[in-house]
Amino acid sequence: MKKWRFIVAMEFRKIFAYRSDFWVTFLGQTLLQLLVARALWQNIFESQGQTELNGFTLSTMTLYYLITSVGTKILAGENVGFISREIYDGTFTRYLIYPLSFLEYKTITYLTYSLFYSMHLSLIFLLYHLLFYPDQLTLITLANLTLGTGVFLLAAFAYAMMATLVELMALWAENIWSLMVMLRFLAFFFGGSFIPLDFFPAWALEILKYTPFPYLINLPVKTIMGQMDPIQVLQGAGILLFWIGFFRAAVLLLWKKGQLNYSGAGI
Amino acid sequence: MNRYLRLYLNFLRFSFSKAMEFRLDFTFRILMDIIYYVVNIAFFKVIYLHTPLVAGWNIDEMMIFVATYLLIDAINMTFFSTNMWWLPFFINKGDLDYYLIRPVSPLFFLSLREFSATSFVNLLIAVGFFAYSLINYPGTFSAVDLLLFFALIINGSLIYYCVQMLMILPVFWTHSSKGFIDLFYSMGVVMERPDRIFKGWLRILFTTLLPFALIASFPSRIFLDGFDAMTMLHLFLVSLSLWLLMLFVWKKGLQNYSSASS
Repeated sequence: MKKWRFIVAMEFRKIFAYRSDFWVTFLGQTLLQLLVARALWQNIFESQGQTELNGFTLSTMTLYYLITSVGTKILAGENVGFISREIYDGTFTRYLIYPLSFLEYKTITYLTYSLFYSMHLSLIFLLYHLLFYPDQLTLITLANLTLGTGVFLLAAFAYAMMATLVELMALWAENIWSLMVMLRFLAFFFGGSFIPLDFFPAWALEILKYTPFPYLINLPVKTIMGQMDPIQVLQGAGILLFWIGFFRAAVLLLWKKGQLNYSGAGI
Repeated sequence: MNRYLRLYLNFLRFSFSKAMEFRLDFTFRILMDIIYYVVNIAFFKVIYLHTPLVAGWNIDEMMIFVATYLLIDAINMTFFSTNMWWLPFFINKGDLDYYLIRPVSPLFFLSLREFSATSFVNLLIAVGFFAYSLINYPGTFSAVDLLLFFALIINGSLIYYCVQMLMILPVFWTHSSKGFIDLFYSMGVVMERPDRIFKGWLRILFTTLLPFALIASFPSRIFLDGFDAMTMLHLFLVSLSLWLLMLFVWKKGLQNYSSASS
């Protein structure tokens, strides 16, 4: 536990070392994604002449995308290549002298980024009210925010395992960057980051139920918005735990086989 | 001109032989772009399940727009993208010297040296989807409309290139490893939306200072809604200004280049 705390503190120091860079990128990306999504839905609402579509008003849709833009960072805040780069550079060997396992170290550093971004969830309320709805009372309670943040961190753990699985493919393949981008596309689209899953056709939702994707973004966002009852949240968290176990087992298997492929020379 | 053409053919030869060395990566990258295309098409298909019109366009018209921005993206990925990836590193590490002393335009060399063979396969797929969307489009169009559309697509690709360069070139002054390129990639989503959804200051921003809405949306609008002199004039003026601004910043950047690495 002490070792974990030390790694988290060290990673936080790294993140804060590039403060100005971070804020320009983070705020720029968050605001941009939000403004573009809002403009699109505003146009759809206006052309339909309706104030509500599939249970969403323009204000709840805005909130949905605001949470999602931070949520995608919580899920995939750590850069592509967080393991594969070490394999390709041949710097993997240094972890042999670390007082904890390589996979444990990488998972903790990954989740530190998730923790860091999850702290920004409270910032979205400020943005939401300042920019769009200064007169409206918040739709979110502190209890839902806390619960949703917890679910987001669980989802980040599941995504970290999926990402680790893909990153470890670097022990065989000469470049896995494109595989990681594919994973992001699929997880974000089928997770409900581009369009809320409520707009997907019923047959697609039926299939998605058997994948981890809807629990990565849709579940935590809806939890924060108070659109999930406690039973649904518990069920969703249980399913996330199942996927974490499943991908963790796959990671360990791949790790065991892949280590034998590592030459230490890099490419 | 002939010299540049010969040089470019050599770039092509080297790029293809390099791509063939890493066959698995070659396959992964093609697959990645196919997924990107499918996700983009699915995005609008899902939206049209709930509305007949978006920004005044029906699903067939929207598919022409989607095909347009996928085509422009594929053109840029094929011809410029890899070069744009390396440029900030060359500037930052002082490796630009090797390009400045060659007897060809450094801007030409640095922008076009790496031709992406994998993206070329995706460019063919994007062309296929573009043709499919045109065939399924119920409206009528003449050969002249189509020729103008192609010219505007090329112009859109050049706007994309200029904006990307303008986001990278601050590296000459900031000495960071990226410039504002992460922000540029995030802004790519503006290109993927019809310009008519933007209103007020956002519209002014995306059609002038950060003209992402001009890349694919204006060409599609001219093709789908008919020729409009004001839209063409707007497109021409912004494209020309952007090109001149990019050349100006490039020259100023070179004057500021110290060759020392950081």
